[in-house]
Amino acid sequence: MTDERQNESHLERDSQLSAMFDGELPGAECELLARRLTRDEALRAQWSRFSMIGAALRNERGVALHDRIAWRVSSMVAQEVTYGDGTVDSAAATSTNTAVAGPASARVSASARWARFTRPVAGIGIAAGVAAMSIMWLRADVGPDPMLASNAAPETSVVLTPEATGSTVALNDTAPVTRAPSNGEPDFYVTPAPSSSASIAPPARLANYVVAHSEYSGPLSRRMALLGLVATDPDAVPADSDADADADAGAPDAP
Amino acid sequence: MTVEESDLVLVKRVQRGDKTAFDLLVRKYQHKVVKLVLRYVRNPAEAEDIAQEAFIKAYRALPQFRGDSAFYTWMYRIAINTAKNSLASRDRSPIRYDLDLNDPEESHSVQTKLQDPDTPEGMALTEEIRQIVNSAIDALPEELKTAIVLRELDGLSYEDIAAAMECPVGTVRSRIFRAREAIDKRLREVFEGGLGRTEEMV
Repeated sequence: MTDERQNESHLERDSQLSAMFDGELPGAECELLARRLTRDEALRAQWSRFSMIGAALRNERGVALHDRIAWRVSSMVAQEVTYGDGTVDSAAATSTNTAVAGPASARVSASARWARFTRPVAGIGIAAGVAAMSIMWLRADVGPDPMLASNAAPETSVVLTPEATGSTVALNDTAPVTRAPSNGEPDFYVTPAPSSSASIAPPARLANYVVAHSEYSGPLSRRMALLGLVATDPDAVPADSDADADADAGAPDAP
Repeated sequence: MTVEESDLVLVKRVQRGDKTAFDLLVRKYQHKVVKLVLRYVRNPAEAEDIAQEAFIKAYRALPQFRGDSAFYTWMYRIAINTAKNSLASRDRSPIRYDLDLNDPEESHSVQTKLQDPDTPEGMALTEEIRQIVNSAIDALPEELKTAIVLRELDGLSYEDIAAAMECPVGTVRSRIFRAREAIDKRLREVFEGGLGRTEEMV
């Protein structure tokens, strides 16, 4: 009776093995059987024979000999790194085929892990460096930081009226703020106005220069300079100048 | 579950540290990989070496395998690249001019390697296995024979076989298993100790 039941159990297990080989076993059963296969050499040999039967049916060459590939690969893989933490389950850990990685492979593992860790850190570092360089470059270009008025430089916190600044100063549309006693924190922050070309450079002088020297410069260089002006500040270009007429003739897309 | 998902279960086990699961993948696909490599090299011994190298490469690259494609598709690409690289390096390697073709033994050895890709022992064993499998198939009841042939030769899924044979999928699973079991029994009778250890016999 017990033998009969054992036989039935073996048949059911072998049937599952056949279905797993064909990829037709439900996922949960597949996981359980994979675990069983890990510790059951006889079952693995049967798995091998299922593969061989298929190859023989398909009339493939060298059917009998190819299993030595598995044997050779298995011996070589035994010298390789074990992925994960190597404790997929207790069965795998106790399996005779589960090899312990040698010192060389352990070194490989450690260096691979180090590379995995350092790669994103290096990327972030480079990105941060580029960002810092950009900020420094912008600061140098604009001059004193308009975002921040600190105790260290009280003279920069002067609020200029629009009449006084024209289009030359970045601190616009700001209300005066009373200064609090210094505690290391800046007194106040100024939220910059939405991007304005006026904060870059006054193009009026350049426009005047170009208009004044238009008769001495070549048509191409004049056009290039005027295009730069138009792109920077269209209002700064005098509408009634000769240069404007030249630029329009040469650059139909200009506003 | 599909073949891809079933293989993925094994792949994930390898990624979690179970090397035996990789052995199962090798045992499952070694025949296909060697057959594939034999399209590039004629010498079976060389094909086995290339297949072995391809499997080792696959093992090393397995942490990067995310399952976007089927394991065999991925393995297929590795095997082809390995075979091509092997051919390229062979072309670059210097030709041996020190072979003494007047020596009958050496001359015979070279000719054997060039003209007879399978070793006699391997060919005989393969032929024997093929005969056992074919005779076992012939002895099977018709429904078992049809089920195993549709699966192994035509590569149909259980569902497609069920539709073709007008029976439930469970019946197909049972028929394929019984067919394999019968063939396996014949093989075990002939080769005591199982064919999982053919390297010892050869």
